[in-house]
Amino acid sequence: MIELQGVTRIFPNGVRALNNISLTINPGDFVFLVGPSGAGKSTFLRMLFREDVPTEGKILIDGKDITTMPEGRVPYLRRNLGIVLQDFQLLKRRTVAENVAFGLRVVGASASVINTRVQEALEQVGLSHKRRMFPTELSGGEQQRVCIARAIVNNPLILITDEPTGNLDPMISQEIMQLFLEINSRGTTVVMATHNHNLVNKLRKRVLALVDGQIVKDEACGTYAYE
Amino acid sequence: MSLANLNFFMSEAATNLRRSGMMSFITISTIGIALIMMGAFLLATMNMESFLYQMQAEALVTAYLKPEVSISDAKTLSLRLTSLEEIENIMVVTPEQAAKELFSNPDDQQLMQIGITPEENPLPTTLRMKVKAGTHLPPLLEKLKSEPLIDNFSYGEELFQQFQGLSHLLWVTSLVIVIMLGLASLFIVYNTVRLTLYMRREEIIIMKLVGATNWFVRGPFIVEGFIQGMVGSFLAIIVLFATYRFALGKLSELIPFFTASIGFEQMFKLAAKLFMMGLVLGISGSLLSLRDINRFSKSTPEGV
Repeated sequence: MIELQGVTRIFPNGVRALNNISLTINPGDFVFLVGPSGAGKSTFLRMLFREDVPTEGKILIDGKDITTMPEGRVPYLRRNLGIVLQDFQLLKRRTVAENVAFGLRVVGASASVINTRVQEALEQVGLSHKRRMFPTELSGGEQQRVCIARAIVNNPLILITDEPTGNLDPMISQEIMQLFLEINSRGTTVVMATHNHNLVNKLRKRVLALVDGQIVKDEACGTYAYE
Repeated sequence: MSLANLNFFMSEAATNLRRSGMMSFITISTIGIALIMMGAFLLATMNMESFLYQMQAEALVTAYLKPEVSISDAKTLSLRLTSLEEIENIMVVTPEQAAKELFSNPDDQQLMQIGITPEENPLPTTLRMKVKAGTHLPPLLEKLKSEPLIDNFSYGEELFQQFQGLSHLLWVTSLVIVIMLGLASLFIVYNTVRLTLYMRREEIIIMKLVGATNWFVRGPFIVEGFIQGMVGSFLAIIVLFATYRFALGKLSELIPFFTASIGFEQMFKLAAKLFMMGLVLGISGSLLSLRDINRFSKSTPEGV
């Protein structure tokens, strides 16, 4: 499903963000990406949705090399991915339902399809009763759930998420994590960068530890520790 | 483009125009003011040119016939030429009439001193042609050149060349002004769209994250540019034509013989041109600002 072959990313200032990374993530996997700040986690994720391209190496998603993919094809790649970032990135002037619908509008879905799918996605994250509210009227946890609903509304094959619980308290973080587990249980591959060692240790999923741009640990039922 | 997409672009454009009212106002006024100025220059040029043509047409064209041409041949030729659409009327002037005209002026007595007398008349038979108002001279002159009985002709070449030059200068000047104004307003439209682009950066990032193509992101901006161009040009046309009408009224009060020389068809063409220019300004301003859309759509800053 996701395959990295000797991926290296060197920034123009000479910083080697990723150094010769090779690994495979299978369909339906739940992978935690851990490591200290500046280890290259975000760069790793950015590569997966072609926000950035490696200086060397290849990234294959579903057998297709996305590193050489023409810029015009990138939107079609992203339509098969769900992306949830730390800062909730919701449009404040749009209702919850409109925010979630955004993912469907860009693919030109009809109004009836949008209504049905938005309702389903909001039910999945438990916010269908707040569909007409604006993001500013929601709590942090609820806002992150709206982002998750937007990410899953297209039934993506892969969910890429960078510190989704970074701004949330432990209780809400657990709820959000539960949501990701549910999504994963339906067959969606989840790749999550996190600093939340409690959750990582508790869930015992595959853990990839990145330090100074290199994979220092790849454990099937791993813990957070990477030193 | 699907109907759903078009619908989305329209509703997004309408919402954005409403939300960023001040920016929309600036863009529409910029386009409007630029078009009023361009239109004013074009109107002035059209009026001047029309005036020049009128003056030019009032000049008589005199055709000198070959010496062997008889009066009856000259009359036959004049009848044939009368049927030309450019000719208002023709008068055949015999050498005798021409001589009488010449020697009626006491100053021309000196002609006799160089051997030209009413008895020894070297003057040819001539055709004096009055050209219809608004006629473009060169095609008529071409037709006259091809007439075998005509030796040569005069039409106030110097004046005609001056008119041609002046008319050409007017068009070049107004073209330069129109281009400069167009570029200036394009620059302002570009900058205002650029500002709204920064204001809506977050929206663009999200659109790109969920898989919007660049053209999909541009869609609402292009529709906005179209609407702004349309409204701007529409307002400009109303203001320009109302002012023109008012100015014409005032001018005809001040100058009794002054009449509007531009017809409805020309005014309609000018309005259509301004409308198209408005659309081009609005849309191209948006497109120019959106050419590097990928720069606005990075979800996270580059870095580890």
